[in-house]
Formats: sequence, structure tokens, C-alpha cells
Amino acid sequence: MSSSLIPPESLARVGEILAGPVTVRIDRRESQRYAYAVGDLNPIYFDDESAKEAGYRTLTTPPLFITHALVTPKPASTLRADGLYEDSTSVVLEVARMMFGGEEWDFLEPVCVGDEITGTTRLLDLDQKEGKKGPFVRLVRETTFTNQDEQVVARSRQIGIAR
Amino acid sequence: MSEYPDIATIEAGDELPVMRKRAGEAELFLYSAASFNPHRIHYDRAYANYEGHQDIVVHGPLQGSWLTQFITDWAGPRARLLSVEWQNRASAFVDEELSFSGSVISVDKVNGSVELEIYERKQDGSVLMPAKATVKLGPS
Repeated sequence: MSSSLIPPESLARVGEILAGPVTVRIDRRESQRYAYAVGDLNPIYFDDESAKEAGYRTLTTPPLFITHALVTPKPASTLRADGLYEDSTSVVLEVARMMFGGEEWDFLEPVCVGDEITGTTRLLDLDQKEGKKGPFVRLVRETTFTNQDEQVVARSRQIGIAR
Repeated sequence: MSEYPDIATIEAGDELPVMRKRAGEAELFLYSAASFNPHRIHYDRAYANYEGHQDIVVHGPLQGSWLTQFITDWAGPRARLLSVEWQNRASAFVDEELSFSGSVISVDKVNGSVELEIYERKQDGSVLMPAKATVKLGPS
């Protein structure tokens, strides 16, 4: 019988907003830097005519770029030993390590350069499970992205595995 | 005739062309910069080893963006990615050759959309990332 890896005060945070709302204008050069870094040279990210021919208002962005566009700049003085920033909104768990478990995305409306995207992240779910290597925690953060016309453009669910 | 898949002729079982990726240190560093991600496991080999990784680790979201590229390159610019999901089962490392392969698992002629099943694999064939996606194909 394993003890709980989830302190009650963390469990009580399910449903809480962890980050945002943060609003960012989608920048052409940041989007293109991201596309180049991925090696995704699709003309709809680089050439206005190609984007319009494909049915977009103007240049669109790689689908997952909006997550990175919303990252808030922080000073290097808040870096931890592992290189990540100190994050006061982190959910406290009795675990050694958090791993990237996967993601689920729904894309509802196009996102184009110049759009004002607002992201709000909630703690959607926190659940202890039994695995082959012992107990682990599955943590799901859901981010809702809306545009300047209040349309929901995308939702992402990031799954973290902690043990 | 379009070079991209057509809802009129596509069938379950159709395969997507394989895409290969290999990220060296400079590519991983650029992705860290472009995604504003300072996590040390993506550029500091000694630190990655200290955390128990055999080498510098490829970012999970980079593999996610390779996955969307794999889909949109196949589907073409007039198609629209409606949803995608993946699981990260194991870590990929710097300079490893990774491959994406996939197939159509169902076709919805009414909505003009298809469901895809995709796998990212290491060279030894082990699956790093199983994935699913739904795409609305472009007008033919």
C-alpha cells in the first residue's frame, strides 16, 4: 500500500488557474524563428501570398507555436540549478521528478500573425495511479487560447507524469 | 490534379510518406532559444548525464512540432489540422535519427476529414511517440 504522493492542499487546487490570462500579439519573426528551429519551412508561415492562397487572412503560424509565444520573459536570477525558472504556481507533489507525458490539442480557429492571443492555464486533473515501476501522479494542465474576437482558437492539455 | 490527398479517393490504410529528423546540438540549441526554454538537459551534456540521461535530450514539444509538420506536409496547405494528441514514451537524444510514419485509420466523407495514426520511432524501431490526429482535407 503506497502512501499518497499528492498533498491534500495540492488536490484542492484542481480547477484552479495556474497561469494567465496572458495576452500576446503573434509576432511574425518569432513565429518564423520557431518554424526554422523546427525545420518546418511550410510557405504558409513565410509567404503572405501562399498563406492567402491556402485560405488564411495572412501568414499563419506552426500549430504549437502559440504555447511558446505566451511564455513570459523572466530574469536569469530566477533560474534554478536545472535551468528551469522558479515557478511559484508549481503544484507541490511528493515526487523526485516530473516528466513530459504528452499533449492533446484541439484546433478550432486559425491563428495568424498579428492576432492577439490570450492563454489561460488551469489544473484540469491530478490523479495518483499504480504503474509497473510503482505509484505515479498524472497531472493535466489545460490551456485555453482565445483571440481578439473572443473566439476560442485552441485548447491544449499537457500531461505530466511525476514519480 | 492536386499533389495532396483528396477526400474522394483516400482510403483507410493509405500510408503517409516517412519523414526523418535528426537534431544536432546546434538545432537543439536553436529550438531552446526559439521556444524560450532554458532547461539544462537540452544543451548541457554533463548535466543531462547527472540527471540520468545518456545524452542531451530532444525537447518533447520539438517532437510535437515535427509531428504537426509530418501531417501538414502530407495534407497540404489547404487542409486544416483539427486535433492531435501524442504520448511521450521515451526520450530521444541529440544526433539520433528519428522517423515518423503513419496511416489513415478512418475517412469521414461527409465532413471531409480523416483520422490518422502516427508513430515516431528510433532507429532500432522502438516507439518514442504514438500519436493520433484528425485533419480536414483541402478542397480538391
